[in-house]
Amino acid sequence: MSIVADAERFADGPAEYFGHSWYAMQHVAADELAALQFAALRRRFAELRNAIPALTLLADEAGVDTLDELNDVVPLLFPHSVYKSYPSALLVRNRFADLTRWLDRLTTFDLTGVDVSGCTGIDSWLDTLEAHTPLRTFHSSGTTGTLSFLPRSMHEWDQMGQAFRCGLFQYSDPLGAGGRHDGEWFELIWPLWRSGRSAITYFPGLALPHLLGSEDRLHALRPGRMSSDAAYFAGRVRAAAARGELGKLEISPALRARREEFEREQREMTESIPRFINEQIEKLKGRRIWMLATWNVLYNMSKAGLDAGLEKVFAADSLVTTGGGAKGQVVPDDWEEVVQRFIGVDHVQHSYVMSEITALNKQCEQGRYHFEPWIIPFVLDPDDGAPFSREGEHTGRMAVFDLIAATYWGGFISGDEVTLSFEGCACGRTTAHAAREIERYSDKRGDDKITCVAAEDAHRAALEFLTGEFV
Amino acid sequence: MIPTLTALTAPAFVRGELITEDLVRFGGRGAVETFQTPNPQKLLGALPLFDPSSLRDLHEIPFEEIVAFLAAVGEALVLQRNAHLQEALELSAQFSDMTAPLVRSSFEQLPALFTPDAVRELADATIGIRYLQGWVPRTMGDGRTASIRAFGARAVHIIAGNSPLIAALSIIRNAIARSDAIIKTPSNDPLTALAIARTMGELDPAHPITRHLSVAYWKGGDTAFEEQLFQPAAVEKIIAWGGFASVTHVVRYVQPGLELVSLDPKRSATIIGREAFASPEALNEVARRTATDVGALNQLGCINARVVYVACGTDPDGIERANRLGEAIYTELQRLPEQLSTRAKWFDPELKADIDALRASPEWYRVFGGREGEGAVIVSQLDEPVEFARRLSGRVANIVPIDDPADAMREMNAYTQTVGIYPESLKSTLRETLPLHGAQRLVSLGYAAHPSVALPQDAIEPVRRMVKWIVDERCEPDVVQPLWASTTREEAERR
Repeated sequence: MSIVADAERFADGPAEYFGHSWYAMQHVAADELAALQFAALRRRFAELRNAIPALTLLADEAGVDTLDELNDVVPLLFPHSVYKSYPSALLVRNRFADLTRWLDRLTTFDLTGVDVSGCTGIDSWLDTLEAHTPLRTFHSSGTTGTLSFLPRSMHEWDQMGQAFRCGLFQYSDPLGAGGRHDGEWFELIWPLWRSGRSAITYFPGLALPHLLGSEDRLHALRPGRMSSDAAYFAGRVRAAAARGELGKLEISPALRARREEFEREQREMTESIPRFINEQIEKLKGRRIWMLATWNVLYNMSKAGLDAGLEKVFAADSLVTTGGGAKGQVVPDDWEEVVQRFIGVDHVQHSYVMSEITALNKQCEQGRYHFEPWIIPFVLDPDDGAPFSREGEHTGRMAVFDLIAATYWGGFISGDEVTLSFEGCACGRTTAHAAREIERYSDKRGDDKITCVAAEDAHRAALEFLTGEFV
Repeated sequence: MIPTLTALTAPAFVRGELITEDLVRFGGRGAVETFQTPNPQKLLGALPLFDPSSLRDLHEIPFEEIVAFLAAVGEALVLQRNAHLQEALELSAQFSDMTAPLVRSSFEQLPALFTPDAVRELADATIGIRYLQGWVPRTMGDGRTASIRAFGARAVHIIAGNSPLIAALSIIRNAIARSDAIIKTPSNDPLTALAIARTMGELDPAHPITRHLSVAYWKGGDTAFEEQLFQPAAVEKIIAWGGFASVTHVVRYVQPGLELVSLDPKRSATIIGREAFASPEALNEVARRTATDVGALNQLGCINARVVYVACGTDPDGIERANRLGEAIYTELQRLPEQLSTRAKWFDPELKADIDALRASPEWYRVFGGREGEGAVIVSQLDEPVEFARRLSGRVANIVPIDDPADAMREMNAYTQTVGIYPESLKSTLRETLPLHGAQRLVSLGYAAHPSVALPQDAIEPVRRMVKWIVDERCEPDVVQPLWASTTREEAERR
């Protein structure tokens, strides 16, 4: 049964399994990959079914003990909101023992012995968990006023970092002829905090051993760690302001004391970005850099650079990676061209990113997002959640199973509408691929339906208004 | 787009005339929600009333004639003999958020809104019939006599479609206000207003009330069309119902001479006192009433209950009481009669995912039902609503245990409309403070979805704002000191 042994190596260390070649990852024969994915999925399910209490509950209720085909796992995928299914009062009132018990249901690690009684905030809670377990929990950005917590461990972060490295030579070495690219590193220009527990601020730490090689190549706007308490606080203030409930916001005295500090830091950071970029240009011109940011950050920076007469500032084998959609703004047609001219590269690497999974699903020459082989994609009927067949092309709700996840459940259902094809792509890659247009279901509204019920959109609009004011 | 045989056609009705030409297609993907309607651009010549004196005919008829005409309309709106309503009911599956039994029962309620008693009550409670009949004199402190009369105005009504009663109410309000209405229908109810207008047209196409009613569809936010319609020369008022987008997109047209009456999007809540647990009978009664507030008309309205605060206490015994009540409410929800509530036509998959996510945390949330789209009751095991409380729909309630009824206050805000309360005595206590936090209508538990249309709405009196309040002041120089003869300072000092 070599497939079982293969599946084990594949899921536990995809980078190693594919010889650290992205080309290899993306060119496995489709039926072979399906067999590999299915064997790996069965193994994950067997390991985790009774090891993660929230999964056990779901599997018991669904009466699922074994999987006979890939789609059998669909009833067991977690709604993405599982990772924020705790009452926010627990966080607001610093009830970390309760929160630990909540998180314990989502991981294989036993958290019952961890003493969190002395924790005074999110930072100290996660510090404590990290001191006693291999958990390296990350959270969402918190801009809507709530935080999702996903209990990823050192194992998954490490595998993710290794696998990340493989795809980053997409343009400089399209056929994967350069092997592991040993000794090649990027200079990361990072216009944020050096570290933190939000998915995005985790990034430099993740990249350092695998992509940068040395702290000297990590050029962060701000040293030190972004406070999760600050991020949560800022999000709650904004959400409350959007609802006109600022006066009713429950703020612990500890947080109240630090409020001014948070606000000052935020202000300073925003103000220092132009100077930071200028310093990086001065310091790194002609070097091989890497930037990973949303389009607006890249565009604004590049536009300012071009206006100042700067062009082709960095080495031609530099990399610019982006994802995350339009961010509710009008995207200029020429934005990529502007970025390419300023940085001095031929391409911008687009990717479909979800913080819940360990892959950067990169866009190919045909404009399709290719899923990394350790991610099993599913397309679900948007109304009843039933999976579409794994042939042809379907439009529906995106769901995934991340096979790297060994200590938490890798299956979850997103809020995105995608058009996904299981057929071969004209680019030659064999993995499933999604069309460029990806929309959030929550952003789709009934066409000109009017009701007297106050819906989320009012709050979202108010939130965008306030956010716009802060930026 | 591929034409489908089932595409629904909604003609326009312009001042007594039915327009069926120049159809264009609107709406969503596939056959569902797609409908065709006359090209709004082609209606622009006839829709606005540029000559204000054209409203004269409406002001010349006695108020009782308005009452009589509406009564005749109401008699013709009996579903069994009204082909337009029957057609709207038949096609409702294609557009309505409601299921067929609910559309039917809503249509069956229409005639009652048009009876002479109902119309007189509405007119008298909202404006005062005297002011609608003619000039009402009043002597002021300085001796002048003011005569006040409510005049009609030219208005566009952007109505909501979650209940057919909104179309009917808009038409009645317009008639008693002697106003000219252009009703912009929503895509979730393109036919009710039209059916009523066509019924009027068949009764008397030349009647001033018929001549001052138009019903049309255009896509809300179609600026090319709206910029031509929303001009102070042709439209004096916009009455916009609900929907954040529908209200925000008309704001741009508001200018001196063009007023916006906004019936803002709202949400409602429930507060239940400890008395609910006094006896098993009380518990059942409260469960039935709460289920009614939650489930009536499938929770599509702003008046429906969603988050239910229960002063059962937050200790383990209290939480147990909340769970018992939650289960009882769920049971009662399933028992509601078909003409009041059914399984939702569309159960929001995002909401279902959020409910399912809570099942992973049984320590913090108890969930009754919700797997099949039949409705659900989520009982918070802490004194806090679920994170997605603002998205509860499809007969889903969230029970939140609290220690003191006053604790519910912190969840009231500017979006709060109705608060259903049990028992009555609690309402008397809470009514002094709830309005300060945003609540606009306090009502006995079980009656949230059973409002009287003659009362203020959303903390305003919309009908008073639909009319123009005109004054005629009579001043006799020997009574009211004339300005032209005003005393100089010297004279004043001499006095």
